[in-house]
Amino acid sequence: MKDRALLLLYLAAIVAATFVHDPARLAAALAAVLLLSGRRAPRVLGRALRAAAPFAAAVSLGWLAASWWQERPAGAALLRLNLRVLLMTCLTFALAARIDLQRALGFSRTLRFALVLAVSQVLTFRRLHADFRLALRCRSPRRVSTATALRHGAATGAWFLRRAEHDAGEIAQALDARGFFLDQR
Amino acid sequence: MHVPDGFLGPQTYLPAYGVAGVMWAAGLRRLRARLDAATLPRLAVVTAAAFVLMMITVPLPGGTTVHVAGIGMLAVLFGVWNAFLSLSLVFLLQALLFGDGGVTALPVNALAMGLVGSLAAVGAYGLLRRWSRDAALFAAGWAGTVAAALVMAGVLGLQPLLSRAPDGSPLFFPFGWRTTLPAVVLPHLVVGVADGALALLAGRFLAPQTAPPPPGRGPEAA
Repeated sequence: MKDRALLLLYLAAIVAATFVHDPARLAAALAAVLLLSGRRAPRVLGRALRAAAPFAAAVSLGWLAASWWQERPAGAALLRLNLRVLLMTCLTFALAARIDLQRALGFSRTLRFALVLAVSQVLTFRRLHADFRLALRCRSPRRVSTATALRHGAATGAWFLRRAEHDAGEIAQALDARGFFLDQR
Repeated sequence: MHVPDGFLGPQTYLPAYGVAGVMWAAGLRRLRARLDAATLPRLAVVTAAAFVLMMITVPLPGGTTVHVAGIGMLAVLFGVWNAFLSLSLVFLLQALLFGDGGVTALPVNALAMGLVGSLAAVGAYGLLRRWSRDAALFAAGWAGTVAAALVMAGVLGLQPLLSRAPDGSPLFFPFGWRTTLPAVVLPHLVVGVADGALALLAGRFLAPQTAPPPPGRGPEAA
């Protein structure tokens, strides 16, 4: 119940952020989210900046260049856009991190089951992907060439597909052995 | 390709949630109707694989990188509905667990990549399958990515028309179609090649799961 309420609160806050267009209010909301995050605030802000920066920076620089070319002011629009993006991303890291998704989405047994399986596999696969990336960096004394990066990407992709096929079979057998699909019928 | 929170206005994401909600309910109903020992674990694990494949970057000339999306792969292996559900789950996890993408952009990302992309992929596969299965798999990967990019470019380019401040400045994504169509679609013509290669690879490794196995057959039948 608590998780579902937190999820609804988070969704309401996100929707509300898209109806606020005054940069001062967006900045105040951002400050409030960071204050409420307490000691986690620097971590929340850092993660939000890392997550939002690539897309927001590309759009902002493009808009800045277009505004300069057309000799029109860009400051207010840029400030509003970036504050909103940062506020919404901070909200995600501050609130969504406290939500147990499996409980929050427990209204559907099928959805919860798929979610549990997918999340467990995602966490394993992410760790393995990081291992592969670090291994490539370790065994490359110089900067990795484009051809090597492409070969590495293809080999990693093929490995994950093989691993996914294997894991799907293992999980299906484990569930079948425990009578999961009998419960469903 | 998928858009983060803050770039789409409520005039876009609220109706998109309405459409996507109906599609998600229909997809879940279909999935429950054919739930068996092989489908759901396979769907969940390939969802995780699609998630991690989106983390594998492909270097482009000029120092930039792009990532594959796996739309064609999922659509050909699992059918349009399951690919739609699977990619929606990927975007939900990315948005809530890792802050990548966003919940306001979720329905648009899911409809563009999960539904339109999957339909284009399955359409391309169906057209070319009789001629050459390998060519059909490659075309499915490419068409899925490019179709999704076209929709995303259309939706992004619509934002300045839908919401503007009294001074005329844009409230959300600032560029119109003249910018978004070439900026989003052109790089994805190249990404589509990588996605085509992925669909081809996956099509050779994994058997299609679009038809449910006969009743009573266990996972060894998959």
